[in-house]
Amino acid sequence: MYRKQVRRRRAVLALLVIGSFLLLTITYGQSSGSVQSGVSAVFSPLQSVADRALKPARDLVGWFDKTFDARGENSRLKDELASVRKQAVAGQEALSENAQLRKLVKLDRGPALAESAYEPVTGRVIGRSPTVWNSTVNVDVGSADGVKVDDPVVSGDGLVGIVASTQGGSSQVTLITDHTSAVSAKVVPGGVQGVIRPNVGDPEDLILDFIDSTKDVHGGQSVVTSGWRAQGLESLFPPGLPVGEVTSASIVEQEASQQVHLRPYADIANLDLIQVLTGGSRG
Amino acid sequence: MIVTPKIFARLVAIAILAVLLQLSFFSRVELLHTSADILPAVVVSLGLLGGSMTGAVAGFSIGFLVDCLLIAPLGGSSLVLLGAGYAAGLFRERFDIHSALLPPLICMALTLLAELGYAVVQVMLGVDAPVSVLIVRDMLLKSIYAFFLAWPIYFGLRRLLRPALVEEPMVTRRRQPTVLGTRRA
Repeated sequence: MYRKQVRRRRAVLALLVIGSFLLLTITYGQSSGSVQSGVSAVFSPLQSVADRALKPARDLVGWFDKTFDARGENSRLKDELASVRKQAVAGQEALSENAQLRKLVKLDRGPALAESAYEPVTGRVIGRSPTVWNSTVNVDVGSADGVKVDDPVVSGDGLVGIVASTQGGSSQVTLITDHTSAVSAKVVPGGVQGVIRPNVGDPEDLILDFIDSTKDVHGGQSVVTSGWRAQGLESLFPPGLPVGEVTSASIVEQEASQQVHLRPYADIANLDLIQVLTGGSRG
Repeated sequence: MIVTPKIFARLVAIAILAVLLQLSFFSRVELLHTSADILPAVVVSLGLLGGSMTGAVAGFSIGFLVDCLLIAPLGGSSLVLLGAGYAAGLFRERFDIHSALLPPLICMALTLLAELGYAVVQVMLGVDAPVSVLIVRDMLLKSIYAFFLAWPIYFGLRRLLRPALVEEPMVTRRRQPTVLGTRRA
């Protein structure tokens, strides 16, 4: 009797393990299967309700966490404020000069400003992956709101990620901290181009790779999306979306390139409201 | 564990509630830059209460639901969580749980193993970016959080599933014999 029980238990275990490997083999590399889409569509209203109900509790825990962090951040922010103030004054001057020059040469909003063709759809984060390996969030806007796969997603501070899949009333967003993410970007001022990749496990650090080691990149510079377009192909991200600030740059031995570390502007760990940039020149 | 339709419904409700709580609350709050993961603790608690079959099936189902909701490759979380649930169940079948400290300690150890399991599965599937050493801190903190969260989870689930637990000692209160309606000293 006991042996029979043990045999049955082992059989169930073997079945579940084989089932897991089969599922992995079948579904790996696909954006979303019909089963996943169906389950996600059923559960997204529940997630939405849970998200709203749990917001006060989340805010309370978040308050404690931020209070710990605030002490260290205070002095850093004071230094940043002083330098940003100088930049703002210079920026205002540049803006007025730019407007005058535009009038002079009768420049219209050209393809470089394709972001104007995007229709932002505001959504709320209703779920987040528990592991750092899959850095994704669920949002409460979907195909019914005009959201499509590969639409860029931003927060009030900067680029957040890209839509990986959509259902009627919800979507899944792959964050720029996910290991599959790669964003073409450039350092401003200077225009040095590279590809932003995550540093898995550290959401406050991104790596701008493939930068020529002869180019001068230093801390404090901003990094924005480059939004390239060539031979009928174009970047999924419009140009000029702020991504982060350079924290350090180091030359990679044997590769004749330098690795630039940046801190994302968007608070990836505490996303609440986001905007999906729908439409755009990709149609 | 004797799984009647009523108990089965409770188990399903526990799984759904745990997944919703994880995605909507625990994954979105951070303490020391790390969020807690209650799913291994829930699966381990179910394994400790119900045995290896219950643990494995609960782990597989909860993992499947999480992967469905996050549109992640199906089977990854299932594989990791079913391992954790089965291991917890085996422990329960081979050893007695005498101390109240034991379930949280097992939850902590198996959460750490589950986090390592996620890493192994991810490496197996391929990681396209550099990996920070901070991931080790994340794993350790997650297992420490699991230790503290395991107290309410394990004892809450035990209370919820008490009618189905085979070896759970029944708390009976025998009436003291009385003489002429007065309690004997």
